Amino acid sequence: MTEPEYIKLTSPRQRGGFAVVSACRSSLWLGPDHLLSVESEGYTESYKRFYFRDIQAITMRKTGRLVVLAIVTGCLCGLCGIVALAWDAIEAKWVFGLLAGICAVPFSLNLLYGPTCACQLRTAVQTEDLPSLGRVRRVAKILARLRPLIAEAQGQLSAEEIPPPFPQPGPAPTPTPTIGEAPTAGIAEEPPRLS
Amino acid sequence: MSPALIHCPKCQAELLPQAFNQGTFEPCASCNALLQIEIFPALFRRPEAGRAGEGILTEGEASCFYHPQKKAIQPCEGCGRFLCALCDCEHQGQHLCPSCLETGRTKGKIKSLESKRTRYDRLAFALALLPCLLFYFTIITAPITIYVVLRHWKAPLGLTQRSRSKLVLAAVIASLQIAGWATLLIALLTK
Repeated sequence: MTEPEYIKLTSPRQRGGFAVVSACRSSLWLGPDHLLSVESEGYTESYKRFYFRDIQAITMRKTGRLVVLAIVTGCLCGLCGIVALAWDAIEAKWVFGLLAGICAVPFSLNLLYGPTCACQLRTAVQTEDLPSLGRVRRVAKILARLRPLIAEAQGQLSAEEIPPPFPQPGPAPTPTPTIGEAPTAGIAEEPPRLS
Repeated sequence: MSPALIHCPKCQAELLPQAFNQGTFEPCASCNALLQIEIFPALFRRPEAGRAGEGILTEGEASCFYHPQKKAIQPCEGCGRFLCALCDCEHQGQHLCPSCLETGRTKGKIKSLESKRTRYDRLAFALALLPCLLFYFTIITAPITIYVVLRHWKAPLGLTQRSRSKLVLAAVIASLQIAGWATLLIALLTK
């Protein structure tokens, strides 16, 4: 069997949230009928395939990593800049100026890439984190690319396939109305909008 | 995992369907985490029920290799054994028995089932490059690099990789290191 051609969707990214040096890197690739998540650990690579026909949901949660990274790199950059300005020795000015410049690169890149998020993909039997999808803008682009492929594999949902209103969120059960009390309204007035 | 229920990845509370497929971030009713949920038709579809093998009704009917009391419906395309509906595993249009499927997976014959690979090109590249920091080590690592390159030249690359450029580069660097050592040795001997 020949190997399918893969199109790169994301560059390898460390699995740990703030890990700068991590052995495990994750990337996402687009196959003919599936998404391929590649996790590289040293000299080995492990693969997870998510077939378009099996993908049930993709969840994105906004995280505060952008702010934290901006504060950390910004502080380092500012600190080095102040030291460079305050120090009289020309060598020290050069060294700290250079360090400030180096810190300014991740600071600007972080702001340039935009808001951060944590992404999960759900199938019938698993919910997998997608650590390579860490920026909202990138996820939006990838979702726009995936939607037609998933729709092609899964088709459109017919009205009878959509179950009646989803259960009420939260652990507390709905109280049964007593005589003379007005019944409470159902939660879902309209079925979910599907692409 | 219950069908048609999506939970907040932060607090695990069930999410309201109104938040699905909106294209914008909506706060979770329980923890206020900003979420964007994309759901697809597979969420509402029940998985296909597994098939059970049909019992043999008349004498002389072909039976399954693994379940002699079950009726054979298909031969395995790998080994030719007769299979009942229970043992017939369809994979990418091929009908295989569980044993052939497992063999294909472990031996890497079925690429779509492969879940792990060793990247010998990375190993060779690291072996060639990292010892350059302490040059004396290259007298040992350069021949090892050449061995790794030759031994694993035909080994499958990573699933997403298309060229052997790292292997070539590792071989070139290691050859240069060996040439450097040879020159040094000749220079020392001829002095």
